[in-house]
Formats: sequence, C-alpha cells, structure tokens
Amino acid sequence: MTQVEASARPRRPGLPRPPLAALPAALLVVGLGLAPLALIAFWSFWRFDPATYWITPDYTLASYAALMDTGRLPVLLRTLGLSALTAALATLLALPAAAVIGLMSGPRKAAVLIALFTVPFFTSALIRAFAWRLVLGRNGAINQTLVAAGLIDEPLEWLLFSNFAVIVGMLAAYLPFAVVPLVLAFGRIEPSVIRASQDLGAGFWTTFRRVILPLVLPGAVAGFLFVFVVALGTSSEIQLLGGAGDSSISIMINDVMRVVNFPLAFAIATVVVAVAVAVLLVAVRFFRLSKLFEDLGT
Amino acid sequence: MSKRNDFSGGRAAYDPAMTRRQLLQRSALAAGALSLGSLGGLKSAFAATGEINFWASATLDIEAAGWETFGAESGLDVVFTDNGNDPGPVVARLAAGNAGELFDVAGLQGGSEKELAKQGLIAPWDLSKLKNYDGVWQWAKDIPYLTHEGEVYGIPTVINADSMIALEDRVGIVDSYGVIFDPKLKGKTAMEDAWINSAIFTAMYLKESENAPIGEPGNLTPDELGLVMEFLIKHKRDGQFRTFWSGWEQGVQLVADEEVWVMTGWEPIVYAARERGIKTYYAAPKEGYEGWGNNTVLIKGAVDRGLSDAAHAFTDALLAGYYGCQLGAMRGYCVPTDANVAYAEAHPDAFDKAKVSELAEHVKKKFAGKVYWQNTRPDNFQLYEEWWQKLRNA
Repeated sequence: MTQVEASARPRRPGLPRPPLAALPAALLVVGLGLAPLALIAFWSFWRFDPATYWITPDYTLASYAALMDTGRLPVLLRTLGLSALTAALATLLALPAAAVIGLMSGPRKAAVLIALFTVPFFTSALIRAFAWRLVLGRNGAINQTLVAAGLIDEPLEWLLFSNFAVIVGMLAAYLPFAVVPLVLAFGRIEPSVIRASQDLGAGFWTTFRRVILPLVLPGAVAGFLFVFVVALGTSSEIQLLGGAGDSSISIMINDVMRVVNFPLAFAIATVVVAVAVAVLLVAVRFFRLSKLFEDLGT
Repeated sequence: MSKRNDFSGGRAAYDPAMTRRQLLQRSALAAGALSLGSLGGLKSAFAATGEINFWASATLDIEAAGWETFGAESGLDVVFTDNGNDPGPVVARLAAGNAGELFDVAGLQGGSEKELAKQGLIAPWDLSKLKNYDGVWQWAKDIPYLTHEGEVYGIPTVINADSMIALEDRVGIVDSYGVIFDPKLKGKTAMEDAWINSAIFTAMYLKESENAPIGEPGNLTPDELGLVMEFLIKHKRDGQFRTFWSGWEQGVQLVADEEVWVMTGWEPIVYAARERGIKTYYAAPKEGYEGWGNNTVLIKGAVDRGLSDAAHAFTDALLAGYYGCQLGAMRGYCVPTDANVAYAEAHPDAFDKAKVSELAEHVKKKFAGKVYWQNTRPDNFQLYEEWWQKLRNA
C-alpha cells in the first residue's frame, strides 16, 4: 500500500476523527516536550548575572561563543562520534539477531528472545556499567582468564578506563534499542518475497543484499537513531569505564550546572537537541523512515 | 555528584572494625533504646517548640529514629530533607528557587557562606542564643569562610580531614602527595573527579613541596589556578592517572581491586578495602590534610517567618551532645565539640564514651598538623570549572 492509499484509509466507525484523537498526545508532547525545549533555547541567549545568581535577559551569543572555548566543542564532537560509532556497531550486531527473531522464529520463541534482550534494563545504568569494571579490570575476569591461559604475561591495561571499555559498556546496554525496530522490520517481510527472489535464482547473499536489506533499512535506521540518541545523553559508561576525566555532553552539562552557569548549560542542550533533530530529519528524508509506519492498522 | 552525599547508606567514617551490617544494627539498637525513653526527662534548657525544616547533606542526617529522639530533647519537630550537597544547585535554589520558603536551616559543605550572606539569602547567627557554641573547638570556629563582615554565618557541624589512600605492599609508606605524580607509578594513581578536591590537593603539594608561588590552596587566584591545572594536565597527558573517580563504590572498588595503588580520597575507603583483605593505609602527608566542614546556616526565610528562635534552638541542640554521639555512631562523623563525650559519659546506656572519645581524638590529631580548608566556592569558581574542562579534554 502506498502512502496515499494509507492516508485515504476509511475511518473505523465509533472512533473519533484523527486530529481529535491525537490531541491529548499532541498536547503532552508540546506541553511537556517542545515547550520546555523552546524555553531552554530561549534562555540560552540570556546572560548569567553573578549579583542575583540567576539569568538576566541581556540577549547575547556569549554562551554559544563559550562553547568554542575551553575544550567544550571537542567534547560535543567526541560524544557525537562515540554515539554514532556505538549506534553503528549496535545496528550491525542487531541485524543477525533481529533476522533470527523476525524471520526464523515463531511468535512464541520470538517473544521469549525479545524478552531476553530486555534483561539489561532490569538493573540501573550505573550498576550495569560498574559490573563491567569487574570484568574488564586489571584483576578482572578477562585478564585473569588470559593470564591463566598463558596468552598474556601482564594484564591488559587498555581493557578498562578506555574508549574500548566505554563502547563495550554502551553496546551491552543499548543493543536492545537497535534490535526491537529491526525485528519489527524483519517481521514485515512477506515470505513470498524471499521465495520469489530464490525462485529467480538469487543466492543467500544476493537475496539479503538486494531484497532483505532494502526492506529492513528503515528499521535499521530507526534502531541506529534510538541507540544514537540514548548514547548521546549517557554519562554512566563514560564516567565509570572511560579514561581519566573523560567527558561527554551530559557530564559537561553537569559540570556547568555545578557552577550555576545556566545559559551555557542551556546552550549546550540546545545544540544537542538541534543535532538530534537534524539527524532525525536526515533519516526521514534519505532513509525512508516513514516506511516503518506504512500499512499500520490494515 | 559531590562526595558526601554518597553515603546515605550509612558508611562509617572512622571505626575500622565496623561493617555496614553492624553499623545498621548499632544504629537501630541505639535508636530503639533512645525511643524507649531511656533518655527521658533530659529535655534541654534551650527547648523551644515548633517545626524546623532542615535542608542538609545526607552527611548530617541521623534518620527518623534519631531525629525523633533529638526532637524529644529539643522540643522541635525536625523534618530532614537531603539537599544533595552539591553547592551549585543548593545555592541556586536558595537564590532563584523556593528553598528559602521551604526550609529554615541548611547544612552545606563549607565555602558558600560568604556568597549566600552577600546576597542576603542567609542570616547571621546570634551567638548569644547558641549556648553550646562555646564548647565548639576553637580551630573549628576559626574556619575562614564561616564569617562575613564580622558576623558568624556558618556553625561547624561536622569536621574531618582527607588525604590519600595507599597500598602498602605496592608503594610502601608514603608521606607526600608527590607519589600521586611519581612517573614510577604511571597509570597506577587516581584523583577525585572533582576540582573541589583535586585542585586543592595538587595546590597543597606544589606549595609545600615544590615551593610554587601559591597563597591559599583552597582559594586560588587565576594565575595560581593556571599553574595547578597545567601541572595536572601535563600529568594526565603523560598517562599518570588510571582514572578520576567519584562516589563511594567506585573509590572502594579501585583500591580493593588494586586498580590504583595510591589515590587521594576518603579515609573510610581504607577500612572497606581492609575488610576485603587489602593491606592499605591512610597517609599522613607532610603537605597536610584537606580539611572540610559541613556547616549549618540560618536561612533568611526562616527569620522572615519568625522562626529565628526555633532555628537557633535547633542549631544549639546540634551541638548539645546527643546529635554528635548519634551521628558518630551512625556515620562515624565528628561534631567538633567535647559535649559529645560529656553526653556519652552521662548516658552510658546509649553510647560508648570510649568510642566517642576515640573518634574525637582521631579527628583532633589530624587537625593538630597542617590543614588547608576545602572551599566549595572559591572566588574564581567558574574559572575552576573551565580549567577542569580543559583537563578532561587533555
């Protein structure tokens, strides 16, 4: 079904008109989401007044200029890079897992497998990250095993307090965000499409590359975005597993709030939101994210 | 998050033999004994009636049963609210939020008093209404940031001094913060992920052992701060630090798992690591200790609401002995007054006088030497944050 057909879908009897039905949710999003964000963006142009210890409406770009100073811009870029890398790796790892769940498992087995992926969320982000210290540490399980097996003489220092450790921690925590939309995307593939590809002589890789991948691309992009946005706002993995004093956007905002530099904190938050929205728009425009929502309700 | 708030679970700051379970058991026993009225009839002379909203760091909390007994003695109904202890948000809530309307007395990690006083957010204490203030140890009264324009704004309520934790088998006995920066220990040292502590420790080392031109390590000028932070940045770039840590659990894990061999930190970490069989000790560096205090301030809003007398009665009661004994038993923190020992002596059924004395003497001994006071709000505090950001990125 095309988008035009979907939008022309007849309303089911007894249901309110679509705009009316969407009103409560829209009000919530605007009132609790967009309005505070707009306020934060607005305040980011104010100035901190040391006399009153609060912000004052002297409109200025000073906070945005300060973003370029004292190493704040590299933190932004580094966090964006780290989040993108984590999201890309998570999406790659999620692909085969989602294929197994979405294509090859029955509904009951798929439900169990999906449930297994939610296990990391049974505990707090802090505990999850902390647990990795015990695994990756100098005397952690991995180093002890490697030393005992005679593969190394000295513990590997870089396993912990490094970018490697941060990415491992984030992948373990946020992989489910990539798996779920991919499972949904795989689940929407009609088996007849795959059979037709095979009937036409395509092998596994050709079918995967030319038929399956284009069909699950919106799910992969959605998974990437979920992981990217969550990783963008994380601090636990970086603080607990990263190198000495490693920073991220949320750590930087915390640091700035501690010295009550509110406009700068607002400016950082505004830039982050702007970047996240830009990435979302790119995804919608170039990766057909809307495909995920086609045919819903039919 | 700043550090003192990480112990609401009840860490013991001193007794090395006390496990968490024992600590909780003792607290419960003490509270139970007290609530049964074993201390009945001891209502203090300064008793006043009313509700006091005490907004303080968890460090100062003696929990529901403790406050109940405290209330029975002072005639005040105390409502305790944890303020998170991070001075930034606390000051901001007082200045721009509604904290002044909600709370009467605040307990803050020392340093913000002058700033709050300047803005008229806190009121000076009338010492004539604080009869127990006379018993506060003189050196605690002399903490520089407690006064502003000749008036006392902060009452020292908990005092301690920090240095560094070392693994004896790895580094031997050390007596200088220089070991933190020793290239021989590259990748084996750590400092706290907080400029409030790490800048002052480094400044103390540079001032005392490297003759750096530093006046007051707790309140660095921009030039001094640059010197200190460039030094830290250089060592970070050299890979000197394994990590910058924050929070009780992280601190214990680093030492107990021997991730680091020496680090600046809190004394209770030593005892927690020893419980796990690690031979560790709390160093007495020649450069001195970093002293810190949690001080009680009178919120201006309480005065406006006519609660000044009740607030004074409350703060006086904090120094009367019971609170010091209870806080020491629960958390191992020391209220800087001999009233605690006197109270324990008068109430042997509730508190062990020897333990109360031991805690007091332990803290006094640290302060007998060189101490530089931690300052949560140095004059250039926003500059500190900027430098810390540079350090993070180095």
